[in-house]
Amino acid sequence: MSKIDFSKFHYGNVADHIEELEDIVGKENVMTGMHDRAIRAASCAPFPMQRWEDHIPDVVVLPGDTDEVSEVMKLANKYRLPVVPRGAGCGLADGAFPLNKGICLDMKRMAEILEVDDINRTVTVQPGVNMQELNKVLAKVGMYYPDDPASYGTAVIGGRIGTNGWSVAGAGSGHPANLVCSMEVVLPDGQIVRVGKGGSKKCRNSSAGYRMLELFFGHQGTLGVVTEAVLDCAPKPEVEFPSYFGFSSYDAAYKALFQLGISGIKSVVNYIMFDDEKIDFLRRDDDAFIPLPETVKCVVMATFAGTEGEVLAARKKSLSIMKAAGGHYLGEEQAWGDWATRHDRYHLAVHCRNKAGQVVTMSWHCEDNCMIHSELPEFTHGLHKIVKKYVEKYDGIFDDAGCFIYTGGPYRTWGDYLAEVDVFINELAMTPELWERWLDMKREIAELAVELGGSISICHGACREGDIDVLIDKELADGQFDLMKRIKKMFDPNNIMNPGKYNLHLAY
Amino acid sequence: MEILSYKDFYEEPVKKDAPVSEELTKDCYNVFACRHKFCREWCPDYVEERNESYTSYGVHTSTLALACGNASLPEMKNEFIHCLECGQCELKCPNTMFGGDFYHYATTTVDLVRKMRRDLHAQGIDYDGFDEVQQVIDEHLAHDAGPDEELTSWAAGLDLPLAGETMMFVDYYNAFQTREVPIAAAKILKAAGVEFGILKHPHVTTGELYETDEDKWVEAAKKNVADLKAAGAKTVILVNPHEYSYFIKEYPRYCGTLPFEVVYITDYVNDLIKADKIAFVKPYNKNVTYHDPCSLNKLCGNYQAPREIIAALPGTHADVEKPILQWKYCCGNGVSGAFRKALPDVAYKIGVRRLRHANDVGAEVLLLACPHCKDMFAETKTKSGINIEPVHILEVVAYCMGIEV
Ligand SMILES: Cc1cc2nc3c(=O)[nH]c(=O)nc-3n(C[C@H](O)[C@H](O)[C@H](O)COP(=O)(O)OP(=O)(O)OC[C@H]3O[C@@H](n4cnc5c(N)ncnc54)[C@H](O)[C@@H]3O)c2cc1C
Ligand code: SF4
Ligand code: SF4
Repeated sequence: MSKIDFSKFHYGNVADHIEELEDIVGKENVMTGMHDRAIRAASCAPFPMQRWEDHIPDVVVLPGDTDEVSEVMKLANKYRLPVVPRGAGCGLADGAFPLNKGICLDMKRMAEILEVDDINRTVTVQPGVNMQELNKVLAKVGMYYPDDPASYGTAVIGGRIGTNGWSVAGAGSGHPANLVCSMEVVLPDGQIVRVGKGGSKKCRNSSAGYRMLELFFGHQGTLGVVTEAVLDCAPKPEVEFPSYFGFSSYDAAYKALFQLGISGIKSVVNYIMFDDEKIDFLRRDDDAFIPLPETVKCVVMATFAGTEGEVLAARKKSLSIMKAAGGHYLGEEQAWGDWATRHDRYHLAVHCRNKAGQVVTMSWHCEDNCMIHSELPEFTHGLHKIVKKYVEKYDGIFDDAGCFIYTGGPYRTWGDYLAEVDVFINELAMTPELWERWLDMKREIAELAVELGGSISICHGACREGDIDVLIDKELADGQFDLMKRIKKMFDPNNIMNPGKYNLHLAY
Repeated sequence: MEILSYKDFYEEPVKKDAPVSEELTKDCYNVFACRHKFCREWCPDYVEERNESYTSYGVHTSTLALACGNASLPEMKNEFIHCLECGQCELKCPNTMFGGDFYHYATTTVDLVRKMRRDLHAQGIDYDGFDEVQQVIDEHLAHDAGPDEELTSWAAGLDLPLAGETMMFVDYYNAFQTREVPIAAAKILKAAGVEFGILKHPHVTTGELYETDEDKWVEAAKKNVADLKAAGAKTVILVNPHEYSYFIKEYPRYCGTLPFEVVYITDYVNDLIKADKIAFVKPYNKNVTYHDPCSLNKLCGNYQAPREIIAALPGTHADVEKPILQWKYCCGNGVSGAFRKALPDVAYKIGVRRLRHANDVGAEVLLLACPHCKDMFAETKTKSGINIEPVHILEVVAYCMGIEV
């Protein structure tokens, strides 16, 4: 990607304002060491190590409360200093990856649980709280915050909002955008505002005014800094039941997924399909993988949660649907074994291979496209075709780790899906030329998604190199990107919030 | 013996103005390649400081940044002191969990931290607060250079031989700071009819020395092994889990397969209980819980015996958490005492969190299997006023046996 020219924004020199920052948050919460800054250049997506230096923020600031954030923003706005909010830094679309250095506003110190309302079933938190830790506290009063991404143990609330994340349990209990009642945001000029569904802190719905809250879902730190959120909690389900079914072909599994989707079972957590490439990948040598009979080519997983009666009924119904669709139940060991490790088996840097079958250390990347049901086969087959073309051409640089297909929408199991292809890339061997080929691969994937009537991203955001061009030129071409630019310029006249992200510098 | 986690390239020092070795770069990259930080919310230091510089991701990526020219070694002086060497991140890491056996590769944060502290020290780059740590090292080196009688003075009146097939190894911390622990251990063993000896002159094992002057520490390690062998040891009982982890994990690296079996005191006592060699004559009517020492639970995967001992204590009501849930706790001391010396405020907060947690399960007594935990929790209790008593498990065993310690 050609480098963005930021010169017209006349950014100030962050180094001249270190003392003022120290006055605001305390000396110990301002970090200037090169290594402290360097480790906050990357988030979890493949990282251009050859250009690491270009993305190292000038300073790391760890604010402790809303007022401190507001003061930092006032300072930044006054002197035109770029600010990049950083949550857990596990976003997969480079949201927290500074494009023009500046202040890295590391929000993880703001991790207080401010209020647990067990009558109205809400919890009020600061943005640095992690879901797993939150749920340990909520469990004490029988409550539970159901946002459950595969990064459950790492991601934090601010990042979930910043990316408009997607939850593995979303088909049953909604995604982050459905689960935030209201929040406090510090705008680029330091003003502190509350946005909700109307003006209430805790109401889940309202027709009063514009839906300002939604604007901040997926804003990737370009509009302000979230400093507090009121979250909708659910009762902890009485029982949970994961089940896995083996299929002898992609087609059979795909049809079964459809039947399950329209079955109307309410206690669903999710339905997931592992395509044949995914099963092959898992068969490689994963220590945690429970061997499957060779006849199994694809797997469909159905998980239910709720009261015991509901789950029993769902189990019965789903078993009969899957049986009729040609699936065979893979047993408890498979189900519980795989389900138990779902939060921590994602990445294995040493799991990748070159053509000769040798181990090559690579980093995981996940393409998180959204796809309508009718186009899933063409799409996933197309994904593999694209990825394999590059794997073939650049031996030991890329690897195809197969596809997952998950129920996509909130509170429903039909219509559209997260169709994810996992790609591994060899960052250590990257050269500028190979990086360009990687972006070509991403572009081809994004184009296919848009062409087939889907979307480039359902969880991470489409703001990375490679995705962004297709997003602007194709997916949001019918006026949406123009609207985004107008909104950005209105909120952030000096373009200090995460400058360059989503190519919003084009607004000025 | 093959040691999966032993990376000999850690021996090559990282130096100012010299390239970082390719192997170390790759090793640090393996953690960076994940950067999912599955381990982060479980790191006891991160839980308090919430600063990702001081996590497994932080130390590996800082070192990788150094290798790539994006960090400066002198600036990194405080980067490696925020680690308790507790081992949680190694266990939680998918590199270890799912790849370990198959690929013969594991994440080794603790070794990296020790190595980097050492390498930095060798170049005169010491973390803030190092002086106090140096004092401890000097003190312990002085013990080593001092007369035999001082080292065994804790055993006065116990009439222990200086040789035997079973030997109890008593480190300097226990011998000087928490002598009630080795005394309880010795009295329990004697009452159970175990014949055992102690070394006339145990040599220094202090963790602070290990991560400062490896050669000196290894020299002492070799002497300890040779002396224990010469004393006729077939079994060596450790009474400090830090030293136990050194004997189990580090000594074989430097001394080869040890010529004796190494057993932790709780395993030994538990076996005695099971074999009916220990008779309990008094109940211990308390609500207790148990704190897994990092060095025993996380570094050595040893957690069963203390639980079984507690279950066998007469009159005791116990609510003991699963060992895996305790991965995220530490008493605050750290496996090398450097952390607590350099970062007393953070150490205190870590201790408070653990004590509060013990209070939450409704315990009056927090049972321990480590002298450092005992000291740390005693201080934390006094400072915080949290109403729970930290007690060493051996003291309770002795109490129930009717032994005065
Ligand atoms: C192993 C793994 C599995 C994953 N699985 C899923 C999954 O199932 N579903 C899913 O949705 N995602 C998944 N992800 C991606 C990632 O976890 C999510 O995108 C998550 O929402 C990122 O949160 P974070 O706290 O890491 O945010 P970061 O990466 O730190 O930041 C993300 C964006 O939000 C902005 N931001 C962060 N905090 C604030 C704030 N307080 N105010 C304003 N802006 C802010 C940042 O500037 C950035 O643009 C996965 C990632 C990994 C590594
Ligand atoms: S130690 Fe392991 S889990 Fe933690 S960041 Fe690292 S590679 Fe990931
Ligand atoms: S060893 Fe313990 S203290 Fe050190 S980084 Fe790992 S989890 Fe944190």
